[in-house]
Amino acid sequence: MTDGDYDYLIKLLALGDSGVGKTTFLYRYTDNKFNPKFITTVGIDFREKRVVYTANSPNGTTGKSFKVHLQLWDTAGQERFRSLTTAFFRDAMGFLLMFDLTSQQSFLNVRNWMSQLQANAYCENPDIVLVGNKADLSDQREVQEKQAKELADKYGIPYFETSAATGTDVDKAVVTLLDLVMKRMEQCVDKPAAEAQNGEGTSKLDAPPVNEKKCAC
Amino acid sequence: MLEVNVAYLTESERELILEVLRRDEELRRVEEMRVRKLKMDVLDMKRKGAKRGSGKYSERSCGRCQEPLGRLLGTASQCRVCKHHVCRNCRLVRPNGPWVCTVCAREADVKKSSGDWFYDQRVNRFSTTPGHDIVRASLKKRPPIKKRETAGELLLNNSGLKASQPAPAAPAAPVPRPRKKEHAPSHKGQLLDAVGQPESQEPQRSDTESAEKFSLCSSSRTDTESSHSTPALPRKVPASPQHSPAGSTASSLTAAPAKPSRSPSPLPQSEKTETASLKHQLNQSTNLVEPEVDGLFKRSVRRVHKISDRRPISTLDLRVDGARSSQGSMGDRSKSVPGLNVTDDEEDEDIDNLVNIHRKTMGDSSLSLRSSQSTLGSMMSVYSEAGDYDCVEVTGDIVFSVGFQERSQTLSVLVKECRGLAYADAAKQRCNPYVKCYLLPDKSRQGKKKTAIKRNTVNPLYNETLKYSISRSQVTTRTLQLSVWHYDRFGRNAFLGEVEIPMDCHDIDSAHEQCVALRGKVVSSPHHTPFSQYKGELVVSLKYVTAKHTSPDKSKAGKKGKTEGGAELHVLIKEAKNLTAMKAGGTSDSFVKGYLLSSKNKSTKRKTPVVKKTLNPHYDHTFVYKDVSPEQLTGMCLELTVWDREALSSNDFLGGVRLSSGAVTLNSGSSEWLAESSPEEASLWQRVMQYPDSWAEGTLPLRATMGKSK
Repeated sequence: MTDGDYDYLIKLLALGDSGVGKTTFLYRYTDNKFNPKFITTVGIDFREKRVVYTANSPNGTTGKSFKVHLQLWDTAGQERFRSLTTAFFRDAMGFLLMFDLTSQQSFLNVRNWMSQLQANAYCENPDIVLVGNKADLSDQREVQEKQAKELADKYGIPYFETSAATGTDVDKAVVTLLDLVMKRMEQCVDKPAAEAQNGEGTSKLDAPPVNEKKCAC
Repeated sequence: MLEVNVAYLTESERELILEVLRRDEELRRVEEMRVRKLKMDVLDMKRKGAKRGSGKYSERSCGRCQEPLGRLLGTASQCRVCKHHVCRNCRLVRPNGPWVCTVCAREADVKKSSGDWFYDQRVNRFSTTPGHDIVRASLKKRPPIKKRETAGELLLNNSGLKASQPAPAAPAAPVPRPRKKEHAPSHKGQLLDAVGQPESQEPQRSDTESAEKFSLCSSSRTDTESSHSTPALPRKVPASPQHSPAGSTASSLTAAPAKPSRSPSPLPQSEKTETASLKHQLNQSTNLVEPEVDGLFKRSVRRVHKISDRRPISTLDLRVDGARSSQGSMGDRSKSVPGLNVTDDEEDEDIDNLVNIHRKTMGDSSLSLRSSQSTLGSMMSVYSEAGDYDCVEVTGDIVFSVGFQERSQTLSVLVKECRGLAYADAAKQRCNPYVKCYLLPDKSRQGKKKTAIKRNTVNPLYNETLKYSISRSQVTTRTLQLSVWHYDRFGRNAFLGEVEIPMDCHDIDSAHEQCVALRGKVVSSPHHTPFSQYKGELVVSLKYVTAKHTSPDKSKAGKKGKTEGGAELHVLIKEAKNLTAMKAGGTSDSFVKGYLLSSKNKSTKRKTPVVKKTLNPHYDHTFVYKDVSPEQLTGMCLELTVWDREALSSNDFLGGVRLSSGAVTLNSGSSEWLAESSPEEASLWQRVMQYPDSWAEGTLPLRATMGKSK
């Protein structure tokens, strides 16, 4: 199924309460199909998709295109799988934190998921996209866009309202996350090189560690 | 380490999860191969044609393509990262910054595309185990946390006991190795014990659930052992034979694990069925086992798993490598314990000492017979690498030809003559030149060939053929190095110049005569780093632990005002790669020595145990330096040197790194010297200081010499 003919392997992970639609969301993204049946995910699963990522240079021109192999981890939302699923958090480069727009509780739990992420992801401030799913069920809606937007702003992460049933903004959410991850990657690798030009003789031990928003490598 | 409790899963759930993990493994395998290729490519690119350091090459040629550069040199033509002067064609403008040279750009690309940017960061986050744990782990030789390991991999391989994995060399492992073999000795050992003392005090564990807990792991393990292929995993260490009493019982036991792989879905097999199947085969094939042994055996199996759970010493001791030096590994281990090695006074291979000793020997032996000359000459080359020789202005050319004889698989180097050499002693017009030849990277004694010494001439005529038995494919990976030396019976030999010809782009069939201008080593110049030759790399991870009781998450915050009481520097020597072969058979028995040098304190020595017969040794050993204040750290220099252990003579220097914040002045004895670090070395040291309490890992190229600039 897979060959090595890609430039980057990017691992993303979807998390959130049980039943918010993580599996259907990913199914929509990878296969562009919708399965209305609710089949609870056992522990973990993943789907794959090959995409072409075009980097945008800072000066606005479109840069090189890369083949990106996406490994999209799907996790069980159920509490009983928690220890298993959180173990997989550390292997992902970016996260789709999902809640159900028709369930206030799933939105309230975003906070918990967020702290789970902070504790278990590869760094304390990984790239995350907040996703409110089931946007098509407008008559059952319990979470207002403003509320969710405020929370996302508080964390400084993008927010999307998607529908796996109609496909609305599903791609956009994943692509935004991919873009964040790719940008961080660039920053991680190119920053040390840029530091080298500033002279290497200075030590910064006495200064408190720079708490940059981005990577700390 | 990651511990996942899977006891609560039902069998069908486990099966589903295992299926996912197997798919993941497949993807990982593909990725592994891709990444390996990427890394090989960049290594090739680095070595081919390009300078290996600013050392021996003219400043006026491009560090990458070796084309001559224009007259005006300045920082303008220097790559920001590697500091090579590079021509316009070998530059790449990065989108968000200044240009870098092609190799550095490629390295950065590989760091991205291999995912190393991610794993490097993760390493810093997840190895924040308290220092003493690391020390304990290193004492027990616990395999380190592997950088690229994923949760899936871990689960699939069983997080606990499966520390030893099949050798990395077999990606597609065609022979389904019964990995259970490792356990077999313990089974057997315990079996015998149990037979010996029938009512052995085996604690009756109510461990149906613990057996349950492991059934996922164990069945997954047996299932995947034939296909597993993670090169990053540690070598499989064969169980030492003395633990496994030979006999038909043994053979049937080792054969047993083949069973699960026969069944299409091994998952539902619980511990008990596995045990039963083992037992069954045991009985079937041998009929040796007494009925009452069954019970004991069943228990012993369980016990083994228990042991593996806690990963205690006894299991690990079984793994003590046969190749491991017999010279008391305990003694070696104790060296990492702070305070224990204060009186460690066994032969000290400090280069200065070596050189001193050598000078003495040279002086003494010069009085004795001349027959000792060749041996001394050999010794000389060891020291010449450490930077101890006289230097003269290099002049002249060397005339030689290189040809390959297909029939005898021999590479012949005909050293014809040298012209217009410099006088080693210009005042006395003395020069006794000889030519030394290596096929780099092999710098072993076996690989060294020399011509005769010509007396009192600067135009020596040799017409000597130096032969190497080597295959054609091997030749292309080598670099011919011819160096000219003045032999001084009473003093130091003098370096008169050298040439290096990469064999990959050399026509070795025509054997035409070449006249090449000699050039100098520039190692003694303070402006050059001594990376004149590729000596391999050293992988180290460092952490500056500020205080003993820091909570893992808040430790970064209040660093500033903290007292340095109990602050420690931890240096985890992980592994070395591509070391130079020193022993016959193309291997080395290497160890790493560490000195933390400061302007005040006397240096403190630490050593790793010797890892035998490999050029890619895994040391996994931690040096702990106690009571190091941040201020001290800034002015300190950590020297790590790799040595080939020689039982009967002095150890051979294989390379080293010097970590400091850039350049620090240090006292050695009475003299002051300046310890300079390469940008790579300095940046790692800075990361250590900048991010206390987290691991900074780096793969550093080894210096070919630790020459000090006074």
